[in-house]
Amino acid sequence: MINQYTGISPKGDLLLLQRLAGAFHGRSFLHINSTREGGGVAEILQRMIPILQSLGIDAKWEVIKGDEVFFEITKKIHNALQGNKEIITEEMWQHHFEVNKQNAAHIDLDADAVLIHDPQPGPLVEFRKTGSWIWRCHIDISNPFKDVYNALGRYALKYDAVIFSVAKFARAMNMDEFIIPPSIDPLSEKNRELTKEEINETVERLGIPLDKPIILQVSRFDRFKDPLGVIKAYRMVKKYNDCVLILAGSPATDDPEGTAMLEEVKEFAADDPDILILLLPPFSDRDINALQRIAGVVLQKSLKEGFGLTVAEAMWKGKPVIGGAVGGIPLQIAHGVTGFLVHSIEGTAFRIRQLLNTPEMAKAMGERAREFVRKNFLITRQTRDYLSVWYAMENKGKSIIEL
Amino acid sequence: MIEGFEFKQCTSILKSTGKKAGNLHKLRDMIARVSDDCIFHHTYQYFLKEHILEYTNDFAHWAGESLEERSLAEQLSSIDPYEFDNIIDLRKELLYVIDDYLEKFPEPREAMPGDEFFFNETITLVFPIGLKAKNLAEFLMAIKFVDIGSIYYHFYEARMRVGGGIDDFSKWIEESLGKKGLAEKIRAIDLFMHNIEDIRKHIEEQTEEELKGDMEVMGVGK
Repeated sequence: MINQYTGISPKGDLLLLQRLAGAFHGRSFLHINSTREGGGVAEILQRMIPILQSLGIDAKWEVIKGDEVFFEITKKIHNALQGNKEIITEEMWQHHFEVNKQNAAHIDLDADAVLIHDPQPGPLVEFRKTGSWIWRCHIDISNPFKDVYNALGRYALKYDAVIFSVAKFARAMNMDEFIIPPSIDPLSEKNRELTKEEINETVERLGIPLDKPIILQVSRFDRFKDPLGVIKAYRMVKKYNDCVLILAGSPATDDPEGTAMLEEVKEFAADDPDILILLLPPFSDRDINALQRIAGVVLQKSLKEGFGLTVAEAMWKGKPVIGGAVGGIPLQIAHGVTGFLVHSIEGTAFRIRQLLNTPEMAKAMGERAREFVRKNFLITRQTRDYLSVWYAMENKGKSIIEL
Repeated sequence: MIEGFEFKQCTSILKSTGKKAGNLHKLRDMIARVSDDCIFHHTYQYFLKEHILEYTNDFAHWAGESLEERSLAEQLSSIDPYEFDNIIDLRKELLYVIDDYLEKFPEPREAMPGDEFFFNETITLVFPIGLKAKNLAEFLMAIKFVDIGSIYYHFYEARMRVGGGIDDFSKWIEESLGKKGLAEKIRAIDLFMHNIEDIRKHIEEQTEEELKGDMEVMGVGK
């Protein structure tokens, strides 16, 4: 399986992966999270586990089970770690622990390295046996609601190390803290190369005009993705350059705020025939892939963001991306090199015009963007980093390790 | 018997210290206290990042982009870490430049929340990539082929590892191949003025030129 990445991922990454895999041959690497499908963590584990196995590592992926109350509690914990005030009673903490205790009885926790993803399975560390235990925190906990953070600290401190996605998501925890950004899989349906026929199929089915440059934003209809700001920027651009705006996202049937936002966006777009609001069903990976490939300029004009991997996805397709300078976006866009970082609607409009008017610069920027993703945001790099952390844990105290 | 050049590569895993600075006073205090590894990462390892040639280390980058203290950014950018034999002296120079600036402008602005300076370190893994050049032609082939992590390891990182500010490539070319002229040309490449891909191109060009010269001397093609 790893051979499929030859010619795509950097040679050094593949080589180091093989060296590390040689060192860990036959040893066990257990990942635990709380869902098999849906969300970025599951998406990456579905691809990463087979890669690890193909390298000769005994990689396993377990998913904890819980009742509705458990997931309501963990949702609150998740929100509190990101700064919302949430009240979690001692009884709720007890339930959180009990559910993990029941899971611990059914999951074989005996492994050489254990990676626990996010806070839901956090208490499993109380039942640790052998090996290095690492907590993989995918969310921004730099300004948590203190009561909840402190209560969760009872578990966090029992780990050997913690991994964050971005340095600014971390906080001082008196333990080894690694920074490993997430990644995209260049071979997945969302990112693989598409044939002309596949792209045309999407274009025709969704009724997309190709006679004007396309400005695209793929995101949920959420105020933090600023869809109204995107429309305003498009209108500023439209005075000077003819173009089409596509806002593509999944309908948020379970999110009342999302539904309201979508209505607001539709109303604001009014009956402009050059604004296309596309509601794509979940798992529309190939359509998103095709849309990113036909776009001239891709936007991720977020006002608040986690890592924002849609940026890397578009960059991988050789597109210049204009992104809000929030969350993990500045890590992906080197301003003026691999895209543009913006701080306002006016800035967004200005950069769109710049890219539309200088196609050669846009092309060069897109090519650099793809190379930047190749070096930094492919799944092989993330797999390499996980194994490197494991190796570093077994060679503690060294800042330079010769393999 | 010529000793071959064994290509290696390094990869760094980022570690957070959990420490951050929101203004220049705090940055100064932290630079005085953080580990040598941390200073090393924010200065020497800056060249591993994708950047336009505006700054030459993370401190200058932050002063310029986040604090918008352009003059300080220029002064910090002009610090050449390879001029110092150790981190202690480099740290002193960074502090000297910031202190001097703070004396003239004692109340610089605060960074926006989330845009503070985050102090990091790295763990570096070094590994051979299975390539050994036995002569200059093989060296040229390899230079074209290797990842930038390998160029960084031999051209930048070597200066601290080997000492004396000398990179691995020119050292081998001079000592094992006896080509002092080519070694000097490679040493003359200004490592501040190029990104790693450009460095690769320059080494390629100089090496190709040398090989052409060798072939002419041997009468190849006549």
